[in-house]
Amino acid sequence: MKNDNIKHAAAAAAFLQDREQARWHDSAIWWVRQKRDAQAKQLPEWEQLRALAQQIKAHTLSRLDEYLEQFQRNAEANGVTVHWAADAAEHNRIVHGILAAAGVKKLVKSKSMLTEECGLNPYLEQRGIAVIDTDLGERIVQLRHEPPSHIVMPAIHLKKEHISELFHKELGTEAGNNDPTYLTHAARANLREHFLSAGAGLTGVNFAIAETGGVVVCTNEGNADLGTALPAIHIASMGLEKIVPRLEHLGVFTRLLARSAIGSPITTYTSHFQQARPGGQMHIVIVDNGRSDILGSDDFYQSLRCIRCGACMNTCPVYRRSTGHSYSYIIPGPIGSTLGPSRDIKKHGSMAFACTTCGSCSNVCPVKINLHEQLILQRKRAFDAGTLKAAKKMGLLAMRFLTRHPSLMDAGGKLMRKVVPIVPQALTQHSAWSRPGRELPQMPAQSFKEMWQARKENKQ
Amino acid sequence: MSSRETILARLRQNRPQGPALPDIDAVPFITFEDKFDAFRTLVRNLGGDAVQLQPGETVAGIVAQRWPQHGRVADVTAAKPEQVAAPHDWHDVDIAIVPGELAVAESAAVWVSHAGNSQRALYFLTQKLVLVVPKDAIVDTMRDAYARVSIREHGFGGFISGSSRTADIEQSLVMGAHGAMAALVIFV
Repeated sequence: MKNDNIKHAAAAAAFLQDREQARWHDSAIWWVRQKRDAQAKQLPEWEQLRALAQQIKAHTLSRLDEYLEQFQRNAEANGVTVHWAADAAEHNRIVHGILAAAGVKKLVKSKSMLTEECGLNPYLEQRGIAVIDTDLGERIVQLRHEPPSHIVMPAIHLKKEHISELFHKELGTEAGNNDPTYLTHAARANLREHFLSAGAGLTGVNFAIAETGGVVVCTNEGNADLGTALPAIHIASMGLEKIVPRLEHLGVFTRLLARSAIGSPITTYTSHFQQARPGGQMHIVIVDNGRSDILGSDDFYQSLRCIRCGACMNTCPVYRRSTGHSYSYIIPGPIGSTLGPSRDIKKHGSMAFACTTCGSCSNVCPVKINLHEQLILQRKRAFDAGTLKAAKKMGLLAMRFLTRHPSLMDAGGKLMRKVVPIVPQALTQHSAWSRPGRELPQMPAQSFKEMWQARKENKQ
Repeated sequence: MSSRETILARLRQNRPQGPALPDIDAVPFITFEDKFDAFRTLVRNLGGDAVQLQPGETVAGIVAQRWPQHGRVADVTAAKPEQVAAPHDWHDVDIAIVPGELAVAESAAVWVSHAGNSQRALYFLTQKLVLVVPKDAIVDTMRDAYARVSIREHGFGGFISGSSRTADIEQSLVMGAHGAMAALVIFV
């Protein structure tokens, strides 16, 4: 679970203390963004594909209740048990109920941001069920007792030395062997034992198809597949916005997802689960947990189109330079910075300000969510909810007063241009504008308005 | 009221406006002059390989040539494939030879699905995966593929593109995360 008392700016400042690590994080994630661009450029229809995805999702949201009912009917016709959870607590109770009824002692899990959102792992562990995260990155952060820092690359905040040390302690690998292939294969051998001995497997859901009642899970590692093909029980937990109307629509979404997420044409495995294996059971838990409220918000309902590719965080200049651990909500980056505040503005208000409003996120989003516009609207809510620090609030109020009184603004600007150059350095060296790269600019002789006036007069 | 009724009622009440479903076939998608060549080029970057069976060659011959030293082989392309009591019994398979229904040029993906849903553990437990695909069953894009696949009677189906892989440690690409370490697609 994540500490939701985190304030983005302070946490980011702490992360940036290690300059070398911060630079590496920035460039590693930017590389993924560049791979995404290379894939997008190979398809002449890329922009049309994004438009199709947007339209399909927008249509689905306008009839979400109908499509969910259709999905349930078809899933049940396939022999799948469908459960509905109004909130995180109900989701956890349902999952525990299924496991307890079957006497399951060990659950293997593939990546699911929803179960992170619900806090499923600690809930089950407190009730005596061992939970093994099986995505390599998720396993690493689970062993470190920390939340994932990225929704697609959970351990991107770590260097191989950290992982080598961790695996030496937890899995008995050679001390000082930092080779990623060696470390990956050590985890492979260890997790195989868990796959073969687990009583149940839990997966997230990338897409749920109303027309077939099936769910689709995309992974590169194959962990969702081993976790569902071996144990007799498969539980799939899905947010209720994961629905697409028809199987053919995956001909759009599977073309966008991995290209946007990791710059690959597709994930290694795109698995369609429609029935339990012979002798097994399959359960689907449909979770609301605040989503139906977001659907009713004119400003924010578009965020429910999200397919969790992570492209918005890979492109975000703030995310790349602050890591996912600087965000209070479990989903970081631009999409998390609208979903978190939508859920609880008092807890997650600082996330709305982890944004330069550059708009790059909106431009790479495969379902064209107006992310940067939503973040500006979330700032308004953060202000209204009283989550701003007193100094920031006073600054904003002063600015509002000034912009409403142009003559005062002109006078203030004039004063600033005169005074700032002669302020002794001792007074400014502890301000936000004294850090490297953020020095106060040279004060110009004239304001823009004065320059504009002069230019007009010269022309005449 | 049950959670189901509460949730559905709130979704009905909160419905936003939305467009009609678009016609996804109205947009022209990329096509490839030589689909096999596009497939092979891509799959080689994804920890796999692809070959076309030549006259006089057999699948078994190609497999034996590629991996002369190998462990247990499970071939489920035969008319009466090997059956196991539990999926766990495939755990020590070294090479699995499985039928692939359809290949996709743009993504180097192969659709696997079979009646009875009994072999799927094999696709993922095996160390090396050999997919045998009919020569003419190759399409340009995922849209073309979805127009041709059917899952309803099988319960499970999946696209597999190359080897199992991960880049979770410092973005270094490693083949063989959990599933097959090598993938070979043979077009017959």
